[in-house]
Amino acid sequence: MNALKDVLQLLVTPGVWHATLQAGALLLLPALGGVISERSGVVNIAMEGMMLTGAFFAVVIDLAAHNVLLAVLGAMVAGGLMALIHAVVSIRYRADQIVSGVAINIFAAGVTVFLLNRFYGLSDVGQVPARDALPNVTVPLLSDVPFLGKIFFSQNIMVYVAVVLLIAIQVLLFRTRLGLRIRAVGEHPQAADTAGINVYLLRYGAVASSGLLSGLAGAFLAIGVSNTFVPGMTDGRGYIALAAMIFGKWTPVGALVACLIFGFGQAVYDANSSIRISQYLLSMTPYLLTLIVLAAVVRRSSPPAADGIPYVPGAE
Amino acid sequence: MTHSRVRLLGAGVAMMLALFMAACGGGNIGTTGGSTAKTLKVGLVTDTGGLNDKSFNHLAALGLSKAASTGNICSSLTCQGQLGVQGDVVESHANSDYVPNLTNYAQKGYDLVIGVGFLMAESIGTVSGQFPNIHFAIIDGTGTDANGNDLKHSNVAGLLFKEQDAGALVGTIAGVLEKSGADPKKSNTIGSVGGIKIPPVDHYIAGYQWAAKLADPGIKLLNGYSNNFSDPTKCAGVADDQIAHGADILFQVAGGCGNGVLTEAGKSNLYSIGVDADQKDVDKSVIASALKRVDVATFDAIKSVKDGSFKGGITTFGLDNDGVGYQADNLALPADVMAALTDITAKIKSGALTPDSTVP
Amino acid sequence: MAAAAKRSARRGPPPTVFRRAGRALGIPLGSVGLAFLAGAVIVTVTGGNPILAYQALICGGFGLVCFGGEQPALQISNTIVFLTPLIMAGIAVALPFRAGMFNIGAEGQLIMGAIAATTVGIHLGGWPAFALLPLVLIAGSLAGAAWGGIVGLLKAVTGAHEVVTTIMLNFVAQWFLRFLIIGGPLQLPHGNSRSSPISHSAVLPTLLPHDNSVIVFGLPASVYRAHTGLIVALAAAAFFAFLLWRTSLGYEIRAVGQSQRAARYGGISVRRTLVVTMLIAGAFAGLAGAVQIAGVDHNLTDQYFTDTTGFDAIAVALLGLNSAVGIILAATLFGALHGGGSVMQSDAGVSGNLVYMLQALILFSIAANFLRSVQLRLPGVGRTPLTPEADAAAAALAQEVDQSAAADDKGIA
Repeated sequence: MNALKDVLQLLVTPGVWHATLQAGALLLLPALGGVISERSGVVNIAMEGMMLTGAFFAVVIDLAAHNVLLAVLGAMVAGGLMALIHAVVSIRYRADQIVSGVAINIFAAGVTVFLLNRFYGLSDVGQVPARDALPNVTVPLLSDVPFLGKIFFSQNIMVYVAVVLLIAIQVLLFRTRLGLRIRAVGEHPQAADTAGINVYLLRYGAVASSGLLSGLAGAFLAIGVSNTFVPGMTDGRGYIALAAMIFGKWTPVGALVACLIFGFGQAVYDANSSIRISQYLLSMTPYLLTLIVLAAVVRRSSPPAADGIPYVPGAE
Repeated sequence: MTHSRVRLLGAGVAMMLALFMAACGGGNIGTTGGSTAKTLKVGLVTDTGGLNDKSFNHLAALGLSKAASTGNICSSLTCQGQLGVQGDVVESHANSDYVPNLTNYAQKGYDLVIGVGFLMAESIGTVSGQFPNIHFAIIDGTGTDANGNDLKHSNVAGLLFKEQDAGALVGTIAGVLEKSGADPKKSNTIGSVGGIKIPPVDHYIAGYQWAAKLADPGIKLLNGYSNNFSDPTKCAGVADDQIAHGADILFQVAGGCGNGVLTEAGKSNLYSIGVDADQKDVDKSVIASALKRVDVATFDAIKSVKDGSFKGGITTFGLDNDGVGYQADNLALPADVMAALTDITAKIKSGALTPDSTVP
Repeated sequence: MAAAAKRSARRGPPPTVFRRAGRALGIPLGSVGLAFLAGAVIVTVTGGNPILAYQALICGGFGLVCFGGEQPALQISNTIVFLTPLIMAGIAVALPFRAGMFNIGAEGQLIMGAIAATTVGIHLGGWPAFALLPLVLIAGSLAGAAWGGIVGLLKAVTGAHEVVTTIMLNFVAQWFLRFLIIGGPLQLPHGNSRSSPISHSAVLPTLLPHDNSVIVFGLPASVYRAHTGLIVALAAAAFFAFLLWRTSLGYEIRAVGQSQRAARYGGISVRRTLVVTMLIAGAFAGLAGAVQIAGVDHNLTDQYFTDTTGFDAIAVALLGLNSAVGIILAATLFGALHGGGSVMQSDAGVSGNLVYMLQALILFSIAANFLRSVQLRLPGVGRTPLTPEADAAAAALAQEVDQSAAADDKGIA
């Protein structure tokens, strides 16, 4: 039928895969942050808020200073600061980490618009000019490869950054001593402490990293994709990243798979101009797919054993 | 901090607040009008697109600011005070805010309450029925019941626009450019990105497609919806897909969201067309904008209340009464385009041609 | 902890009901107070007038000390409209919390409830009110229950994490909604992204007569949108409390929430409890959606796509300490803040978003006090019962760390 033809036609054009990669990269960054944080034993559901804060400050700084690098750094710092609030409340005050995460998300939503109104009056930020935005990078030669070239070698610079970070973090967590210690702190903080590892420092660092990564994702969204700030623009991506992290069993590569699936869904929805199936039914596919996989594969999601439990020395 | 200390602190703060409230609550802190000559109070309620969507809501606010000399509209825009009214505006963040926002102004006795947007039709219908002595105006709609039937309240002025006329003008521009090969990719494909599939949006798109096909019968037309009027990211996504399918002139009909269409076109050095207001400065890719003179209609509505000539019922703004139009922007339109525009304008005004107003 | 020890050492009569209630209220109240103080600082620092801002907030929330010409009764009515669905949605989040699960899916369950309510309200429109109205509410509850049940079932049978499944189902519900009302089967004829209205006999009557000619407090009575859904909400809260504290199921839910291992040893079927909990929780959320449709909106619009009630409910449940009374109070606070925000914006010129920051600050202060005062143990997102595999993995990791640390020492030496 026509609809099937449309879909098949869509699948053989590079456009939808290009969009998949971009959307997936946008989700992967906060997901990586979540992985690091939770591997160290701190539950982090605040990616949404940290990402939104990063997005806001990326735009504000870019509009004021006309400097992309500064804006990106500013966004990361902003995300990191939000994460530090979560870290202090969760680690130092041993608060319930879900409450803290929820509070961060609400706070970010409020403070970004509050500051928006203070700085710019009623809801207008303005456009970030193209020269101040995160550029698209077209790799010479490779991007001319038919089909694959357009997908992999003609993306926004942040997509490449995300790939590099993915590899780096996978290696870090599973092949370096630091990664071992982070994971130890998340599985058996008591033993780690006894072995002389500074549980608190590692956890603070891990949570802060998740803030940096989420802030980076915010910058990508705000000055790489949209070139402006709109209240609530993260639109649930932080929560999808959370789901991706859990679906991926708290590993970077696992999270990548999930992020690509969700990114594909986003791309298909955007292609509603060319598909004669209800765009709304199409949009459900990545989520239904995930549910089916979860239903078909009996797998106990085992997070780090000490995930979510504040560390009290000598309490076990 | 221990329990008891927190409790004490909390109690103390609560007491302090209570004292302050009691002290200040009695007096009259804010004055709401009531100077010697009665200042007309006009309230504007935007839809979820937000005040600075650079089109729709912005235009209505512009019209209000032209008329107002006081009111909170003057802190967002420069007030010209041509009618000396007090202009207040409130942004709606969700559909559920429409009724409370409209009721708020009506209940305070404003002289004119303006709702912006088709999605507010039912809310206007409800509130205008509750306050028969307050004047209401609604852009792009009338006061309706839950089934969409016009309640024909005499205190409601429905300001409707023939967006298809404006769509036809910019569609002509696109069609002639594609036909003559003056478009960036010579692809003979154009696109349109709508917000939510509501009549005003579809009017524009229908007129656009009709006129483009008229000028270039072999043209390929792409049409998609973002289902959003405020977030540019969503429209950017749809635009990207259309660009990937060859579209090189993109018409945005999605308010604030649609700015994402314009920037995406700019990123690929293509052409785009703005909507409602002149969007020349949003992006260099904007070659023309379809104009909907919402600002004029708003101003006229306020004027009619001021000089007592307000009449309920529908007023339609089209090409024939200059209620819609187009504006050439960042491209010097070639002679054949200009000729086609003159031709089609005359034909629509005389009634010889009528643009489509529905999208299949 | 030292204070507690001191208190127990002090002799005296056991605390009265009032003293106990005061102590229970103390933490949330103190947290609220602290948050408002911090909020005042924020407002002052950014150039606003905190007294004016809070006065406007209280006006919009409770109809007191209004100075901008607002009609107080109308403000109270609006607040009631806001808090009604929050109570039921809050329960939908609180009940699973009690069982050790995190239900982020209240929004999706609410949407499904709204869809079911609208469908029944339209298609069975000819039925008389005394039959149709309960049916609408029941249909909403059942739809929500089904949506929640899927989550519970997946968790019980395949171990799928409820955070993932609920988030997925939220999106599916949102898109299903759009499918139905934009060009779909429920759409109002003449295409405009909303459904047909439900029949008059499916409407939850407003608390005041819905009549333009009756004047109440200077305004036509139909302006006051507060509706009998409030009674439904309060009844739901009472049922929640009853369920939790006076039924064996409630006991099992709380036991599972405390420790799945202990509950299992005590003969409770953990899986069954989880499934039943999610079924009931989903029902509450679905009921909230049905009540919104039947009481306020009377039709399904695209606004439900971006509705945040289910997410606000998480904060409501947390602030309400997962108890019926707490949820009612928290929902009232949040409803008042919502209404107060817009008045604060128009009358005091302070951004309505201060309200969100206040909410967050309240949650932070509560969180920081949590572990010391409240017995509740909220589930960590990743927290699952310690399985033998997880235990073994942890032990293996500890060994690895030991070895690497030993290698370190050797290297230094």
